[in-house]
Amino acid sequence: MAIEDVLSSKGRVKILKILAEIGELNTSRIARRAGLNYATTIRHLQALEKAGLVRHKNFGRIRIFRFNEGNPRARIVKRLIDLWE
Amino acid sequence: MDSSLERRYFTVFKDESKLDINYVPSRLPHRDHQLQLLSQFFRFALERPGQMAQRVLITGKIGTGKTVLSQRFGLNLEREARERGINLHYVHVNCRECGGSAFLILQQAILNFYPNFPRRGYSAEELPGMLMQVLDEQNAHLILALDELDALIRVAGSDPLYVLTRIHEGRLGAPQRLSLICILREAQCLENLDPSTKSTLQRNIISLEEYSTPQLRDILNDRVNLAFKGGAVSEQTLEFIAESAASEEGDARYAIELLWRAGKYADASGSSEVLPEHVRRAAVSLYPAIRREAISYLGLHKKLFLLGVVRRFSQTGGAFLSMGDAEEAYAVACEEYGEKRREYTQLWKYVKELSALDIIKTQLSGTGYRGKTTLISLPKVPASDLEQELIKVLNTGGK
Repeated sequence: MAIEDVLSSKGRVKILKILAEIGELNTSRIARRAGLNYATTIRHLQALEKAGLVRHKNFGRIRIFRFNEGNPRARIVKRLIDLWE
Repeated sequence: MDSSLERRYFTVFKDESKLDINYVPSRLPHRDHQLQLLSQFFRFALERPGQMAQRVLITGKIGTGKTVLSQRFGLNLEREARERGINLHYVHVNCRECGGSAFLILQQAILNFYPNFPRRGYSAEELPGMLMQVLDEQNAHLILALDELDALIRVAGSDPLYVLTRIHEGRLGAPQRLSLICILREAQCLENLDPSTKSTLQRNIISLEEYSTPQLRDILNDRVNLAFKGGAVSEQTLEFIAESAASEEGDARYAIELLWRAGKYADASGSSEVLPEHVRRAAVSLYPAIRREAISYLGLHKKLFLLGVVRRFSQTGGAFLSMGDAEEAYAVACEEYGEKRREYTQLWKYVKELSALDIIKTQLSGTGYRGKTTLISLPKVPASDLEQELIKVLNTGGK
């Protein structure tokens, strides 16, 4: 996924900002905080995960997302958000 | 500072927080042996973490130091584990505060690791597995202290404890990560458990005896040094408080609360010293049967219900109150605090819970009443005192 595709969506940037601020969060709370509907949030999260920026863990039915600290791009994006905010 | 202001704000306290119910002192007078015993039981957690799990039962009457013993031990063990590079957590959960709900108890344990873990969307049955997954993932070991365990047993029976004590059986070969410290007043309460859970829990028991007067004096002395300005509490006053508390079945919590209240009375009367007279006044206002803590744990509507009930008792001077009258009195309290009233079924639950906490008593109406109703009585505390206490808690953010 090209950088312009990742960062051109307001929803995706919002989600990245939330994860940068909170650390780890489940899908519905990300959706609520970002003001997006559940399906859109999932779509964005899948795209971000495909781009290697976020990763998830499952606890039973609960899916918790966080920045993919193992990926250098993710670390840089998080740092950019931290600096910006 | 203006001298009149200085006078107005003069206080006998140096640091009031050291008398708070949640304060865990670094030293526990007359509990060294028990602390040592706990360290022995959990020695493996530092030497061979993951090799075994432990279950320890701490029993003792109210104010014998059960909670503080467990918490002090937990803090010490966490510190030592950190120094050894072991990821060990001690989590203290009050089952009564959780309303005896296994769901909330285990959720608190998980929230310790994931503060943003969702509060809903899963069942109580899923939680033990989730907790173990969290521990595995973080390579963490957990000592879960279940305080006031009787609340959990009363509400949920044997099942949650059975699951927690057997949690490692389905994980053959995997590290044993979850140990339990169960805290309750009387081991008798375990009779309600199934035999296998009971026997698992009864292997290691630490029973705490009531404190004697000299022991209470040592405890109070420590707290006076931490909380009060030099010379604010005389030996005589200390002795007086220790003796009062000893006659309340050696209840150290009562002693500390009495000390704090006496300090407050001293402040209110502008005295630079806590005098026996302040203690006497504090003792009158403090009913060991019902504590500030017990009241503050109640939910908002339980407090409002109780407020309505005690007000009605104050007004009528009667000994019993019917459910219908209690409902009306509660509605008035709700109106006063701008809260939407709960319905009858919920109130009925409140009555049962308040009765289980021994704050009110209930009995079925006999002759002289049309039909059948539950009669509420308030056997232990003067209604006006309880009313004041409730208003204080409600007005100081205890909502």
